[in-house]
Amino acid sequence: MLERAKSKSLVKWYFILPAIIFFIIMIIFPMIWALRLSFFNWHAILGPKMNFIGLGNFYDILKDERFWEDLAFTLFYVGMVVIIELFLGLGLASLLNRKFRFRNFFRIIYLLPMTAPPIAVAALWRMFLQPDLGVINKLLVAVGLPLVKWTTDPGIARISLVIVDVWQWTPFMLLALLAALQSMPQEIYDAAVVDGASSGQTFLHITLPLLSPIITTLILLRAIDAFKLFEYTYGITGGGPAGRTESLSYYIYLRGLSYFDMGYASALSWVFLLIVLGICLFVLKIMRREMR
Amino acid sequence: MNLKKTIETTLLWIALIMFGIWTLFPFFMAVVTSLKKLADSYTPTFLPYLQFKPSFDAWTVIWGEEYQMLSKALINSIVVGSVSSLIVLVLGCLAGYSLSRFVFEKWKNKDIATWILSLRMMPPAVILIPIFLMMRTLTLLDTWRSLILAHILFNLPLAVWLAMDFFNELPKEIEESALIDGCSLWGAFIRITLPLSSSGLVAIYILSFIFSWGEFLFAVSLTYNRAVTFPVQITSLFLSTEGLQFPRVSALILVAIIPPMMLAIPLAKYLIRGLTFGAVKG
Repeated sequence: MLERAKSKSLVKWYFILPAIIFFIIMIIFPMIWALRLSFFNWHAILGPKMNFIGLGNFYDILKDERFWEDLAFTLFYVGMVVIIELFLGLGLASLLNRKFRFRNFFRIIYLLPMTAPPIAVAALWRMFLQPDLGVINKLLVAVGLPLVKWTTDPGIARISLVIVDVWQWTPFMLLALLAALQSMPQEIYDAAVVDGASSGQTFLHITLPLLSPIITTLILLRAIDAFKLFEYTYGITGGGPAGRTESLSYYIYLRGLSYFDMGYASALSWVFLLIVLGICLFVLKIMRREMR
Repeated sequence: MNLKKTIETTLLWIALIMFGIWTLFPFFMAVVTSLKKLADSYTPTFLPYLQFKPSFDAWTVIWGEEYQMLSKALINSIVVGSVSSLIVLVLGCLAGYSLSRFVFEKWKNKDIATWILSLRMMPPAVILIPIFLMMRTLTLLDTWRSLILAHILFNLPLAVWLAMDFFNELPKEIEESALIDGCSLWGAFIRITLPLSSSGLVAIYILSFIFSWGEFLFAVSLTYNRAVTFPVQITSLFLSTEGLQFPRVSALILVAIIPPMMLAIPLAKYLIRGLTFGAVKG
């Protein structure tokens, strides 16, 4: 059949072209448009007048303190959530990787946070973290601990967002790693037991190396997803206090659709894309080296 | 040996239950808060009847005065989700089938697939501005169509990958024998491949619906009045001063959370598979 399909070389294109054309119109074309816009100074609110300023926008980005702060926060956020979620997920997954009653029940429970829309999660935690009326501070007071300024202290607000992400996405790491663990061949473990390996040794020398490709994939997926941080900033802190929890996505959104500074926002978009791309390639390269 | 096993089991259950409480507490709190009177909602009480008198005030408000506004947003979410997911399913199956069964020579199948995957990896904020301008030029802002297009774009890469993954699992021989029996390529695809992978197709449709339901960046950027989706609608409440009306906010959050949750539970194993692009079979 494959041979026949090869000969009918047109048919296969009929199948795939609709999707490819859609992507070209809706992704490639907009990206090129954004690249063009990024060479212009265009405040859409003042009318359609666009001034060509060459690389001016990119030069401004280099000097834009707000951009660097947002980048630093986004990187901090991505690093924190990936590390915490990976270790929590790995620990819990190796603990759960055995037969016990109600295992499927717990799997379903742990799945629930992932299914909730991120903006609804943001709304939930906005209520809980509310400094004066939120349930978390009420509980802290009830047990005699001091109040925590969850969303009004610049440093703590960053941690708050990390906590929310950890709540929603640790289950992803956990369930994915658990599934990976369960698909591993049992014989290897039997052999290790016969050879007298302790469970710690087995984990370190057998499980981890076997898991490492999947861990790489999961880290990348999670990091890329965390880079898109928008809803928590929008819903929980609004970027504050003092812009300390503003993510790059949120900055682009504000710059483009709130200040209508289209040229600058487009330039920011491209810089953002290149940063994500660069970090992906970098992570992949490091991981590849580690694996050898 | 026995002692060690007992300790291990205890540890396991402690971890299970602690993590379970941590996971469930926010949901539990939302349910409890939505059943409180406004005045009760600022005290840390958890048990209806025992600690506070339950009230359906919040639910009557959102089911009464706010019903029209909310039902409009709900309908918008449902229409955008179901239509975009249908198109995603059709385009995704075609492309996935093509990548699974045919050989592309100039650009390798793997390259095309990776390219499609990378589109999903790209932060959507990158194309937000031009998509907004495009929709404005086409005067599609604040319509279902703009959001449907944006959500297709958002979900299609995943659908292509999952469809490809599902088709790869089907033995080619069945289709081949149909072809030998004189079935056309298209006929074999429609009558044999699609029915055999129907559970996977349902999973693609529902996953795509769930993601569309929860999608926020495009929804908040491309709509402002007539076409706002439910998640966008609730932000206008919880971000305003009324956001301190915890019972009402909680009830709204539950309305936003429950539909995707109900859809996702039967799909538990596909959810992980979907979120990892088939890297983990779940």
